[in-house]
Amino acid sequence: MSENPKRYWMSPVSDVERDSRDGATVPIANGDPDFVTTRRSFLKAAGFTFAGAVAASCSRAPATSAIPYAQQPEGVVPGRPLLYASTCGACEARCGLLVTTRDGRPIKIEGNPDHPLSGGATCAVGQASLLGLYDSLRLKGPLRRGQQSTWPDVDMEIAATLERLRQEGGAVRLLSPTITSPTTAALIADFLGGFKNAQHITYDPISASAVLEAHALTHGRRLLPQFRFDQADVIVSFDADFLGTWISPVQFTRGYTSRRRIDGGARQAQGAPTMSYHVQIESRLSLTGSNADRRLRVAPGELGHLATHLAVRVAERAGIPFAADGLAASSMEPAIEAIADRLWTARARGLVISSSQDVSVQLLCNFMNRTIGAYGTTLDVERPSYQRLGDDRDLAGLRAELSRGEVAALFVAGVNPVYDLPDATALAGDLRRVPLLVSTAERPDETASLATFVCPAHHYLESWDDTEAVSGVVSLTQPVIAPLGDTRALIESLSAWTTGTAQPALDLIRGHWERAIHPRSAGTSDPAGVAEPFQTFWDRTLERGVADIAPRDERPASAPSSRAPAVRPFDQSAVLAILRPDAPPSGSFALVLYPNIGMLDGRHGHNAWLHELPDPVTKVTWDNYASFSPTAARQLGVEDGDVVRIGADGAQPIELPAFVQPGQHDATVAIALGYGRAGTDRFASVGPPWFEARRQTGLVGVNAAALVTTTEAGRRYSGRTVTVATVGRTRQLASTQIHHSLAVQTTFAPSISQEPRPIVQEVTLGELSGTSATGGAAATSAAPPESGLREESLWPADHPYPEHRWGMAVDLNACTGCSACVIACQAENNIPVVGQDEVRRKREMHWIRIDRYYSGTDAEPEVVHQPMLCQHCGHAPCETVCPVLATTHSDEGLNQQVYNRCVGTRYCANNCPYKVRRFNWFDYPHEDRLQNLVFNPNVTVRSRGVMEKCTFCVQRIEEVKIEARRLGQPVADGAVKTACQQVCPAEAIVFGDLRDPNSRVATLARSRRAFRVLEDLGTDPGVHYLKIVRHDPAAADERRRG
Amino acid sequence: MRDAVADAAIAGGLPVASLIAGNKSPADVTRDVCRALDAKPSGLWWLGLGLSGSALLLGVVAVSYQMATGIGTWGLNSTVGWAFDITNFVFWIGIGHAGTLISAILFLLRQRWRTSVNRAAEAMTLFAVMCAGLFPLIHMGRPWLAFWMLPYPNTRGSLWINFRSPLIWDFFAISTYFTISAVFWYIGLLPDLATIRDRMRASHETDRNARGTDAHDNTTYDNTAYDNTAYVVSGFSRTRMRIFDWLSLGWNGSYRTWHRYEVVYLLLAALATPLVLSVHSIVSMDFATALVPGWHTTIFPPYFVAGAIFSGMAMVLTLMLVARKTMRIEDYITARHVDAMCRLVILTSGIVGLAYATELFTAFYSGNQYEQSAFVNRVVGPLAWGYWVMVGCNVLVPQLFWFAGVRRSFLMVFIISLFINVGMWFERFIIIVSSLERGFLPSSWASYSPTSIEIATLIGSFGLFFTCFLLFCRFVPVIAMAEIKAVLGKAR
Repeated sequence: MSENPKRYWMSPVSDVERDSRDGATVPIANGDPDFVTTRRSFLKAAGFTFAGAVAASCSRAPATSAIPYAQQPEGVVPGRPLLYASTCGACEARCGLLVTTRDGRPIKIEGNPDHPLSGGATCAVGQASLLGLYDSLRLKGPLRRGQQSTWPDVDMEIAATLERLRQEGGAVRLLSPTITSPTTAALIADFLGGFKNAQHITYDPISASAVLEAHALTHGRRLLPQFRFDQADVIVSFDADFLGTWISPVQFTRGYTSRRRIDGGARQAQGAPTMSYHVQIESRLSLTGSNADRRLRVAPGELGHLATHLAVRVAERAGIPFAADGLAASSMEPAIEAIADRLWTARARGLVISSSQDVSVQLLCNFMNRTIGAYGTTLDVERPSYQRLGDDRDLAGLRAELSRGEVAALFVAGVNPVYDLPDATALAGDLRRVPLLVSTAERPDETASLATFVCPAHHYLESWDDTEAVSGVVSLTQPVIAPLGDTRALIESLSAWTTGTAQPALDLIRGHWERAIHPRSAGTSDPAGVAEPFQTFWDRTLERGVADIAPRDERPASAPSSRAPAVRPFDQSAVLAILRPDAPPSGSFALVLYPNIGMLDGRHGHNAWLHELPDPVTKVTWDNYASFSPTAARQLGVEDGDVVRIGADGAQPIELPAFVQPGQHDATVAIALGYGRAGTDRFASVGPPWFEARRQTGLVGVNAAALVTTTEAGRRYSGRTVTVATVGRTRQLASTQIHHSLAVQTTFAPSISQEPRPIVQEVTLGELSGTSATGGAAATSAAPPESGLREESLWPADHPYPEHRWGMAVDLNACTGCSACVIACQAENNIPVVGQDEVRRKREMHWIRIDRYYSGTDAEPEVVHQPMLCQHCGHAPCETVCPVLATTHSDEGLNQQVYNRCVGTRYCANNCPYKVRRFNWFDYPHEDRLQNLVFNPNVTVRSRGVMEKCTFCVQRIEEVKIEARRLGQPVADGAVKTACQQVCPAEAIVFGDLRDPNSRVATLARSRRAFRVLEDLGTDPGVHYLKIVRHDPAAADERRRG
Repeated sequence: MRDAVADAAIAGGLPVASLIAGNKSPADVTRDVCRALDAKPSGLWWLGLGLSGSALLLGVVAVSYQMATGIGTWGLNSTVGWAFDITNFVFWIGIGHAGTLISAILFLLRQRWRTSVNRAAEAMTLFAVMCAGLFPLIHMGRPWLAFWMLPYPNTRGSLWINFRSPLIWDFFAISTYFTISAVFWYIGLLPDLATIRDRMRASHETDRNARGTDAHDNTTYDNTAYDNTAYVVSGFSRTRMRIFDWLSLGWNGSYRTWHRYEVVYLLLAALATPLVLSVHSIVSMDFATALVPGWHTTIFPPYFVAGAIFSGMAMVLTLMLVARKTMRIEDYITARHVDAMCRLVILTSGIVGLAYATELFTAFYSGNQYEQSAFVNRVVGPLAWGYWVMVGCNVLVPQLFWFAGVRRSFLMVFIISLFINVGMWFERFIIIVSSLERGFLPSSWASYSPTSIEIATLIGSFGLFFTCFLLFCRFVPVIAMAEIKAVLGKAR
């Protein structure tokens, strides 16, 4: 071949004709006999070129390391998920998790059913924290004065400074949120122990320090009791949003709903059904308030006064003296009287809580709990909670030191004080003056941008960690993916700065567990009290994710006697009456700052799923806003979206859109914290780019932390007097719901009737226990649900359902509206984020949504939440109208959407009475390659122009069916859990086979509370709802029914 | 047969001779009608073409952008899945109906006054159906897969279409309608095409021989129709002649040709007649078979058919009043024609008004709260303004036609016809959007407002319609010459 004189030209200007500039017309051969282009040579050349072109086009995009395992790791089967027990790091509640990984990447978070606190449940934030792992904004490695650096360099410089401080004795401070990890706490103690002047300051961005302070005064120990809602029959909550955001909402929701469930619940007895009674006394309409049996709308300043009224009445009934001379009268006394009756009847089964940051209100709560004997049943101080340990006094001390410039080294681990604290500008200035400021932030946040060194910590899914959320409940966090960046766990950093070398986190944790945790496990696994070997205990805990051990011994060293109580007897002397309400001057408003269910304190400000999660009450996404009651809004002349300026003495005014919120107190303005995080301006580019898209610029929402009040006793979120002025601009809020009532004008004389649509149905406890025609045996003996319509139908029974008919039962009485299911579904089913403008256009893509309806008056609305998803109708209106049969009914009762057949006429969505179908209006961007790793490979990512909707998690059904077939067994009831069901802390959703008369879902579907939405249309829905149960209107507490 | 037709017309009380003014001879008819074809187009025509062409171009740009970017460029949302798209579709389909009514039903009913307007009305039908057919196509999320609506054997397993879907019925109804209308129109054109061909051939030979008038090959029945003066022979006219030669399918004016023609025309008229009723009935079933309150109504088929004829008549009036003025064919479209159409308008307006009232009564009487609230919302809800525009334009304004003076004033008729066009567009918009906006679950209520892309697409559809119509005026005789000649009274 090498002899072959033939030369192939490569391009028109080749070396053959280099002198010719006229490339296009170059003759290939110029009389050279060796280079005559014959027909044959031309064909050969052409053939070669063609073959070359074909060969070249065969090569794919550059292959990165997509190579198979050289050695298959044990247990890894491609395509089969691996589940790791872990602990959630999204907030300090620390729920138990099972993390689903596929091919080495976590794609879904589920609750760990073995966890004693959270059960199998998680919340919306926990679900969404998975997306945070794949956030391209996370730091890739350590930073030194804003520049990329390396760990050895950073460690060396920090160690040098620390060494100097050890010698010289400068003040070293470590600022962290509540540390629930025993290992981390021990390492922090070790680290700070090496300095002469060192202090660990704990603060919670959303502080609950008043609860701890109050217990320090009454019980002699600064503790946060473990609230046992699962034991409470009467709950009186002063402003505590315990179902939404307060301390540990998943645990609380689980406990709360366990006493609200009528059918199939733990308390289903032969006798009359009972249900706990919940009173919410609050200023804004919180998620918790929306679920209350009785809700009192009060100004923030009235809380203490009403608590005193209640305390007086409870004390009176108990015969305990309580000095409240000169107590001002209140218009709510009849209501308080009734509540006191209820509370006294329940005694130890009662629970009074408050999220107030006013210690005296907390003391009143303690007094009432003590008086009714709730300590020991509904409040556990023997096994207290460690979910909030922050001490605002320490923080105030640090703040003073910083402003005096006394701090030589400040380590900020896991908090963002420049964002969280009110005087951000001054604090930033003070922090700049700290010689050594180290932050362990995952992202370049407000504080980290000032830091000398940023030593980014892992995302919790990449990291080893341990947790003791509640005394005696220890759990492990294990990494489910190799760190995506060059990050390092906090405990590794601490060990590096303490000992000079960064020890692996696993070794540190194992070491601590062997020393401190394992000894406490004696007797918990073996009644004989024989301790199992550490390795066994470790393996067992790692596999199960959690272990129950003896509570932490917190008795002071001076009293080591074996059974001495951990707390001292109740000290009533600190409890003082609050004699009169604290009302803001007329014309001004009392401010209520609250954590929003998605953003919490702002730490998830980078999570697009949470920004697009509609607030459970307001249904607004992508913004925070100043809420006013309808009366206040009328007086101010503002409507939704009118920008108002909120000013307060000594604080920079903030401007944000107004929102009219029924049920709010007239003299209050409520603003969500957690918005306006630096870096959220990147969400302006979320959503489809087209020329009429109204894209927001700037940050998402406004940071309201500037309005937090700092007092001696701690930071307060409500009660501050603010002024409100309109600005004259508007900013349209992106709300997913524009009509809020089931009552719709129904006759041609609009004023006559406002008959509510029977979409959400209610029943009273009395009706349930009675044997009237509405309840009792007659209703339960109705035709089994799988037979389709209960009455005669024109429709032929053309769906035989030979094996299964999948169906669902949603207990509206259990559902609190917490919206965890919305995010769980989003994570499971690869649902895109569409951005604020698209939500404004009502094009959010969520497959399950929570419909929220008000009834009654604007001032005192009653609220219902209704999860709405594809009803998988037996006679689906969407199926008949599709011209191309892209949506069909499966022989298992699923209404299935065939994406690649869909041509996108949207007729099905028009004809769906439940409006659960979602259309891909655009190609929703999936440019972020890192973020795409979160996709569930079992679910198609839908393209532009096709319809989609809830599938009943068909991929999960198939997975279980395949496994059952492999084992040769029938599919067991409860084996298939949809994503929304799995996440639900209220266990409101039950999925199963309606064809099996003994399945849970079929039992519920036959219950006398069951109804189906719009059943009379003949759609034969596969989703059954259970009616909301209301307490019987008693004479003492007149109902607020509209 | 033609005698029978004429006799029937006389028996029907319309003296045939008075249909056409000016005591025209057949040659006059040919000359008058062909004037637009022969002469260079006027500045007004160019202006019209420029305007409608620009509108069409705007629409093309809008649709291209929408295709490239996504249906999200329309103002639709999860609740309101159809709005401008299907409104425009139903509107244009409705417009088309008058053409078929005039050409087929009035032909069968021996309404000889139709001869002056049927050609233009049929052309209008064709163009309107073209515009209408566009919308179901572009409203799809993936229009490039529109062929999946066809029931053709395919390799995708046993994938078939859903014969239960009204959209499939629509697809068949509209394609049938378009086919029949096109064939009917073309068949009706044959004698006139032959006339034009012969005129061209005559003038061509005249020019070539530089001689007198001995160029007739006696293939047409009416040699007096030639008017050669306007002819300039060029390559263009040769091409044109060939085209017309081909298009006239060898028409030779013989008795046999005429006989076949008349039979076929009658048969096609009989075939097209049920379409007047069926097409819009089927279109209405898109809504009537759905369970959306406000759509789910058995009254829809007759209501939609009446509405279609109503809107179509209005559009015919709009177009013909302009055409008679600009094309100087006042003698052929006279006050009598306008008067007859106005009477039809007032009849159909009455039917439409009755339907509006019946809808309200049915909702009230049904006791169904969803139904009731849908209609309360329609009348007093957020789109109430649209409802009252619709009632005003479709029911109140046409009542002016009770006055003969109004019917005789072409300006008034023209203005009222515009009102009706607007009102009928709003009728479809209100039915579609106000019903979708307020469905069963109040949580999902939404409001709709169009985007610029949708408005541009609507404008574009008018651009397409008028571009086609202007080209039609220029290249095809707008009045059926052969039929007019038959009603001159001279053939007897």
